[in-house]
Amino acid sequence: MTEDALVWFLVAVAVIAIAAVGILSRRNKAVAKRKAEIEAELNQQLSSADEQIATLSRELQQFKDEHAERIRQAEEAAEESTKAVLKGSARFLQSLAAEQQTLLEAIQRKYGGHSVLGDLLEVSHANAQMSRKAQGIAVVCGAPLGRRNRPASVYDVVRSAMGQIRNFERVAIMQQTGFALKASAVSPVALAVAELLDNAASFSQQNAPIEVTFQRVQKNLCIIIDDAGVGMSDEDRQQATALLSGDYRPRLSQLGNQPKWGFPVIALLAQQYGFRVDVTGVSRYGGVRAVVLLPEELWTMEETAPPTETVQTGHVSGPVPPSDSAPRTAHGLPRRGARQVPVASVPDRDTTTAASPEPEEAGQAARRSLGAFQRGTLSGRKLTVAPSEGADDA
Amino acid sequence: MTDEPEPGLELTSALVPLFVITNGRSLPPEHAYERTTLVSASQDASAEARTLSPEARQVLELVTGGFLSVAEVAAHTHLPLGIVRILLAQLEERGLIAARKPIPRAEHVDRDVLNAVLDGLRARFGA
Repeated sequence: MTEDALVWFLVAVAVIAIAAVGILSRRNKAVAKRKAEIEAELNQQLSSADEQIATLSRELQQFKDEHAERIRQAEEAAEESTKAVLKGSARFLQSLAAEQQTLLEAIQRKYGGHSVLGDLLEVSHANAQMSRKAQGIAVVCGAPLGRRNRPASVYDVVRSAMGQIRNFERVAIMQQTGFALKASAVSPVALAVAELLDNAASFSQQNAPIEVTFQRVQKNLCIIIDDAGVGMSDEDRQQATALLSGDYRPRLSQLGNQPKWGFPVIALLAQQYGFRVDVTGVSRYGGVRAVVLLPEELWTMEETAPPTETVQTGHVSGPVPPSDSAPRTAHGLPRRGARQVPVASVPDRDTTTAASPEPEEAGQAARRSLGAFQRGTLSGRKLTVAPSEGADDA
Repeated sequence: MTDEPEPGLELTSALVPLFVITNGRSLPPEHAYERTTLVSASQDASAEARTLSPEARQVLELVTGGFLSVAEVAAHTHLPLGIVRILLAQLEERGLIAARKPIPRAEHVDRDVLNAVLDGLRARFGA
């Protein structure tokens, strides 16, 4: 009896369990299906959101690009207009300084014998420095450089550069060579060397020497500038190299409140006229060694001695024409030795116009040196034909 | 950048300015190297001439082997007198030249006055 009851109970439990399993599995299936549906929906939403984000970011980038482009254009326009203004002003200053230099030269020649010459030389020096600044600014702003029409020795070109910096007495040109620069290269090389010399002078002690040497390396002519300054740090050197190679061209606004025109000017000149400048070397004094490397198109060997034009004797000889027997220097100038043939003018006076007192003769004689006068009178006394003096002697 | 449509300004001033030729030195005192001062190169000057600037060398060559006045040196070199005086001072400092001061100018005598004096003496003492 109890066994039957147990069996029936177990059967009932089994039936209930089966029913429960059936119900549960059905519900499970339903939940799974619902889950899949929701997931699909969410995925769809997610991908559409992604798409939106992508489009938005594309648009944003586009706006950013446009913005940057606008800023660049505005900057460029500002740079161009600044340059145009500066260029105009610099050219004006440039021509004024050049005019003034010519004027000063004429004044220096006019008052060459006067003590005011010393002051004039200083004014001229100050003007030359101003001229360099004006030329540098003009070059950076794209204006052409003042040009020279005659070739010049590289020695004179460096001397011209020396005149454009403040303490040029410190610069020593160690040799004179037969190399000459072609006319077109004269002023750009002078300006570039002036900027290098200015750097050398600015970054070294007040009395430290700056030495300039010339060297021919294969077909190139090198102008080498050694200073005894502090040298450059690696960072400075890299920056200078980038500037000089033309890889990096600073805007005017990047030159700073105390603008450093030097390297930008040199870089532009080098690029325009086809020479190279290197400042990475170390000088024998531990300072900077700057090298200007001129390709063969820019230089030649000097043909003739430059100061030939000074050998015109015609208009410099005074009232006394040199007698033919007088010995001459290599330049054809009369040489004044110790015991010479008497100067021709004194016997002339006695033989031609013997009796007349000649008022202008005093003025003439005053212009001669006393040595000539003495010799002249000596020879005059030796002359036999002198009637008036004969009367006096009696 | 290389094309230059605008013609550049032509520089007419001397390439080497005068103050560079004198190397920034100031004028010698007023009484030194007057126009009529005679200058001559020292004996051993030519050896050192190589190290001089072209202008100083030209001056030295002019006064080699004889005396020449400062004014004449200036005229021959086409340099202003003051510049020549500075160059000469520089050369003398290095012992390359010797300068000889001008001899004070003799006074010019009036022949009529002398004749009058002579006549007077003759009249007084008898000739």
